[in-house]
Amino acid sequence: MGCQHLEELYELWLLGALSEQGSLDLREHLGRGCPHCLARVREAMETVYVLGRAPKPARPHPRVKSELLRQISRQAAPNR
Amino acid sequence: MSEELPAEDLLARVARQDVAALSELYDRYAPRVYGLIAHILPSRDAAEEILQKVFVRLWIESPSLSQERRSVVAWLVVTAREAAVDRLRALRKRVLNAALQGPGVIARKEVLGGPKSKAAVLRSSAVIFTAKPLEGKSAAIEPDPADRARTLWPGAFPSAWLPQPKEISLIDDRLVLLHKAINQLPKPQRQALELAVLGGLRESEIAAEMGEPLGKVRSSLRAAVTFIKHRRRAVCGTWAANI
Repeated sequence: MGCQHLEELYELWLLGALSEQGSLDLREHLGRGCPHCLARVREAMETVYVLGRAPKPARPHPRVKSELLRQISRQAAPNR
Repeated sequence: MSEELPAEDLLARVARQDVAALSELYDRYAPRVYGLIAHILPSRDAAEEILQKVFVRLWIESPSLSQERRSVVAWLVVTAREAAVDRLRALRKRVLNAALQGPGVIARKEVLGGPKSKAAVLRSSAVIFTAKPLEGKSAAIEPDPADRARTLWPGAFPSAWLPQPKEISLIDDRLVLLHKAINQLPKPQRQALELAVLGGLRESEIAAEMGEPLGKVRSSLRAAVTFIKHRRRAVCGTWAANI
């Protein structure tokens, strides 16, 4: 089966905006390892990145970083 | 001034359990990741919790991610959006269930959508989330596995899908132009796209939210992403775009 009909769908699929059936069809097609679609998905990721960068940066509370570092240090410690 | 270490080099150090390297990646990228998450989620607590989870996930997935040397910031932005949208959908479902069980006919109509004034379209999601129980800690609200299955890929998406660092660097250099292109979209297309990107809505939900036929919304979304894709190709390609 060709994949021309999927051309407009990769970005919307990555955004989770397609209907359930549309998502399943695309996922199944990708699961078969179509090289054209894999290249297009990679390109669509760039568009999703552009859209995801639209909101202005904001500074999280410093407590988030302290909690994050505490959490991963706990995970890292047993492996040292 | 010393040159900034590439993020992908830092990630390789994170993969070797280097906490300082993760701290540096956080300092570099947390504001842009948090800016996105905070735009999607209605409460600061929920946004901060998701931010932390995304960086913990980066820590956990760093060994496999660093092998392919794909763009770290692309992974962060795409993963953060996905996680925030999952949380938003879970919150929305909780409000919907509460509204359906309660006596509030108005609340039910508000949550289910239906014809609204155009001015209400973009802010109506926020109306849903002003309910008090949603403020404060939201750790108990987890995404519905059924929702995850419907969106992307089972588990994490393959890192081979991520762009190369040089491709993202090119985009970052031209981000102002690219965002200008988003603002050039006709208003209905921009609204539909915004509801998909930041509202986490599917085509049918966007149609209900905007009070427009599904076919029209579908066409608007396809036209919008095609326009952005072509602009991105033009702006990041070898020829200058007339923007």
